[in-house]
Amino acid sequence: MKGYLATLVLGLVVATGTNAPAAAPEVNLPLLPKSVRFAVIGDNGTGERPEYDVGQQMAKYHDLFPFDFVIMLGDNIYGSKDAAAFKRKFEDPYAPLLSAGVKFYASLGNHDDPNERFYKPFNMGGQRYYEFKNGDANFYALDSNYMDVEQMNWLQRELPSGSSWKICFFHHPLYSDGKFHGPDTDLRTRLEPILQSNGVDAVFTGHDHVYERLKPQKGIYYFVLGNAGELRPHDLKPSTDTVKGFDTDRAFMLVEITGDQLYFQTISRMGTTIDSGMLPKTAHPARNAAGVFFNPVPFSEEPRPDARQIAFHPIFRLAP
Amino acid sequence: MDARIHAGLCCATALALWADQPPPTHALILQDFEKRVMDYTAVRDRARSRLPRLKEGASPAQITHHERDLAAKIRVGRATAQPGDIFTPEIVGEFRRLITEAMKGREATLVHQSLKRAEPVRLNLQVNVMYPANTPLQSTPPTLLLYLPALPSGLDYRVLGHDLILRDAEANLIVDFTTGVVP
Repeated sequence: MKGYLATLVLGLVVATGTNAPAAAPEVNLPLLPKSVRFAVIGDNGTGERPEYDVGQQMAKYHDLFPFDFVIMLGDNIYGSKDAAAFKRKFEDPYAPLLSAGVKFYASLGNHDDPNERFYKPFNMGGQRYYEFKNGDANFYALDSNYMDVEQMNWLQRELPSGSSWKICFFHHPLYSDGKFHGPDTDLRTRLEPILQSNGVDAVFTGHDHVYERLKPQKGIYYFVLGNAGELRPHDLKPSTDTVKGFDTDRAFMLVEITGDQLYFQTISRMGTTIDSGMLPKTAHPARNAAGVFFNPVPFSEEPRPDARQIAFHPIFRLAP
Repeated sequence: MDARIHAGLCCATALALWADQPPPTHALILQDFEKRVMDYTAVRDRARSRLPRLKEGASPAQITHHERDLAAKIRVGRATAQPGDIFTPEIVGEFRRLITEAMKGREATLVHQSLKRAEPVRLNLQVNVMYPANTPLQSTPPTLLLYLPALPSGLDYRVLGHDLILRDAEANLIVDFTTGVVP
């Protein structure tokens, strides 16, 4: 019985994270003028206490590190989607940030209603996938729930040449050591060549309810952050690709981009820094010194398996 | 020639010709699918024209009401809709063939992994019923989407276990479904 109670208490401690006192905010970022500053959350929209705790930590850090926007890696609103749910699962937990003028840019997760794209505070412009620019960084929010040809062609078209930072964010990870989900290898097979050949520098995803930073894969930095609201304790099974992992409490990230450097700091909901560092802009194999690409292959020309036999049937015209 | 033999020969020839008749080609079946989908979108567009457009800046309540009202109007417009109205047996056969092609060899493992890791869900499927807000939408593997016929804006394919749904994304409505087509 004693053992059972101890396990129960330990379980509750892990689940609620109430054992550790909140750490004083400490920013490990350079705070340089004109830098691009943002925060990252994923799988956050539970409306439960831990999401509010993360929101409060983010607000505290915003006072010290005034970031302009937050990127959301999907599962923005779990469960019911009525007005009360949006308030409880998004507007209230991040109220201090919203009132400070911080913009949120959402991507869609499997728990989201695709019509969330019309919800103004998610800044999706009514689109399932979209881009925006901040300083010298281009951001691409993708809908990994439904990676159709139209979306892949759009990404191929919109990813610019040149030396600016290119950052993609979406829900399903291409690389992950989460035990529950793990990487979406089919998505990786289709998407990775586009990211690689167009010089994408960093990819942020969620879905696995843990934090993981991976070794660069084919010249691209990968982060999984799916524990800003949900948590799957001890779900991370680190591999040789894992640089840093955290699966015992919720977390969010702060990122600062300046010149050829991307600084990041990952913070638990108790305010403890669990990972931080600087990543230099990568040199992609497909990119030459001037930042121009060698013979990029348009997606439409990529061979499809058995394309002759099965035929590809684009029988519908896309709506204007 | 004896009239009976002549008639018999004619019958045999006709039978032989009938037996040799090739089944409708893949293209014809897909054209039929396209027509059925376009018939649906005509109903959807009529329903949509009677509602305020959902625009960026909509409140959560407006989004919910729009989905509900659009679904209700579509339901009226296709009150007699039955499973298989779009996924006819011939079309299901063609989809089965395309999905089998998509999942051959190495692709099979990738698609299966993708489906497994997508967070599979179970639902009691019914045509003209809204997809429940509390149930996650399983992602559709990109390889499958490469092989299946492209859809007009606002419609999508969703996999549910071994079943395939045709869903109206704007109304969040199950338009049609077919069971057991995904291995």
